[in-house]
Amino acid sequence: MNTLTRRNFLQSSLLSTAAVLGGPSLAVHAATPPKARVVVIGGGYGGTIAAKYLQMSDPEIRVTLIEKDSAYVSCPLSNEVLGGERDLASLTFDYRGLTRRGIAVMQDTVVEIDPVQHFVTGASGNRYNYDKLIVSPGVDYDWAAIEGMSEAVAEKIPHAWKAGKQTQILRRQLEAMEDGGVFYIVAPPNPFRCPPGPYERAAQVAHYFSTHKPKSKIVILDAKDAFSKQALFQAGWEEHYGDMIEWVSGAQGGIIEAIDPETRTLMGSFEEFKGDVINLIPHQKAGALAQTAGLANESGWCPVDQRTFESSIHKDIHVIGDACIAGAMPKSGYSANSQGKVCAAAIVAAINGEAAPAPSYVNTCYSIIAPEHGISVAGVYRLEDGRIVDIPGAGGVSPADADARTRALEQQFALDWFRNITSDMFT
Amino acid sequence: MPRPTWSRALCVGLLIGTFPSLPLHAEEIRSESMLANTCAGCHGTLGASAGEVMPTIGGLDKGYLVEVLTDYKTGRRPSTIMGRIMLGYGDQEINAIASFYAAQPWVSTDRVAVADQLAEAPALHERYCESCHQDGGRSQDKESPRMAGQWAGYLQYAMQACRDGERCHPRKMRNRVADLSDAEIAALAHFYESQK
Repeated sequence: MNTLTRRNFLQSSLLSTAAVLGGPSLAVHAATPPKARVVVIGGGYGGTIAAKYLQMSDPEIRVTLIEKDSAYVSCPLSNEVLGGERDLASLTFDYRGLTRRGIAVMQDTVVEIDPVQHFVTGASGNRYNYDKLIVSPGVDYDWAAIEGMSEAVAEKIPHAWKAGKQTQILRRQLEAMEDGGVFYIVAPPNPFRCPPGPYERAAQVAHYFSTHKPKSKIVILDAKDAFSKQALFQAGWEEHYGDMIEWVSGAQGGIIEAIDPETRTLMGSFEEFKGDVINLIPHQKAGALAQTAGLANESGWCPVDQRTFESSIHKDIHVIGDACIAGAMPKSGYSANSQGKVCAAAIVAAINGEAAPAPSYVNTCYSIIAPEHGISVAGVYRLEDGRIVDIPGAGGVSPADADARTRALEQQFALDWFRNITSDMFT
Repeated sequence: MPRPTWSRALCVGLLIGTFPSLPLHAEEIRSESMLANTCAGCHGTLGASAGEVMPTIGGLDKGYLVEVLTDYKTGRRPSTIMGRIMLGYGDQEINAIASFYAAQPWVSTDRVAVADQLAEAPALHERYCESCHQDGGRSQDKESPRMAGQWAGYLQYAMQACRDGERCHPRKMRNRVADLSDAEIAALAHFYESQK
């Protein structure tokens, strides 16, 4: 076990200070001891927001954001890269905006959390002491759920469920595929990150195929018997792509049990499927750090107090975003954004000796079926008996009978959703 | 089907009779910032939008915001998604959200004018808009939102939707935009966007 020696403590303080020397807020940090130290792990849709809103609502709190990469590549809108409508650079962001706000952004990989002595250890050897810790680790994959899959196999059979290199691998395979080929998307069981994602992906790839490889087919092999925005997706697929996209439900034999990556063959419960390109989206669980830190329960996800997102397992550690169990909220970027703000407000209240405020949560999620065809789902939530529940009558999906102008507007709003949520995160 | 017990029915009846403004669920009051910050994922931090069809809402007139948000909720103002979202909020909460955003500083877009787009815009502004949207679109009240520095994409959509009979706020706006062509609307939208 780690023990926190005085020397380590000092070393960490010095290192942290050194790394943010260029930041304008250092004078504040150095001149006065912080009211409290909050460390946020993970610079994605949840972590950036928690760090920023903590800093905004109480500048006397010292906020440190630890992120393993120097830049962030957004998963939302990465299906458009597969469809050929945008490149990865347009989805890539850096952390300078948060540094300018006075947040100490450290590029480091957390290897251990000590929940008893309240510090975090980075691969750099750096130690980060905290009064409150926020963990926003995203998802990890349960490779064992499908025989023959592994992290190494994913280099060849990509999931593309985290944007970046994986997205590029899949895009190149789709580009290399001959016209008339079959592209399989293996969709995971619930719960998983971005419930409409596999179905938007089918539409985006169909958009690419219809102009470049019109004889090709897309088959979704699904572990489930129903999916998000299903009626809207199925109507949109047919409207724009005819019978190019086929969906096979779990009951119809869509559940995949094994894969032979060499021959690109998927073994279902009834039959085998041999594909030209396979996108296997694995079964999911809370990010690796949540597992090693003992923040997840037997479900693979992290139980939290849904008012504050404080872990039900470890005191003073909060878990937000895809990794946490958040009642009726889906695992989406907007959910993570909303949870980051609720969590930040709860921590500011706790640090200032106040009760956690009554929470409000929202989700909005757009999918782009074709260049002028967007659809959306929204949810508005409140806390009831300790659980996040839908507010009855609010939210829901775009109307089935919307006209072309509405569909086109929703596509524009999808792009604006992206502009604004990323500016909320990174500026 | 379980039958309601008399005591419960009586209790609910009494409550409603005595305190007609109480919500059906006993709820904690959610603060202005707690409610309003959920909007920022689409409308930008503190309501300063990053573009282009999504309007900036921080710094708009409170009365205007209350009216628009309420009209979304009732369906009087047609929308793609705002109606579905506003159904999740009570009148007091709408008031709180409006108070929060009205108190924020207005942040204009950083877009600059493109000369050939704007040649006819000042004359159009004077003729059709200025009686309500004074000072180059900087003035505002309950009926007339600030337009100077707003995103052209949003302004264009708002004017077209009004001209085409989809939604006007207030209704007299319809008469003003009725005869404008798409090109004239685009010129006006870019003119207001370039005013700071």
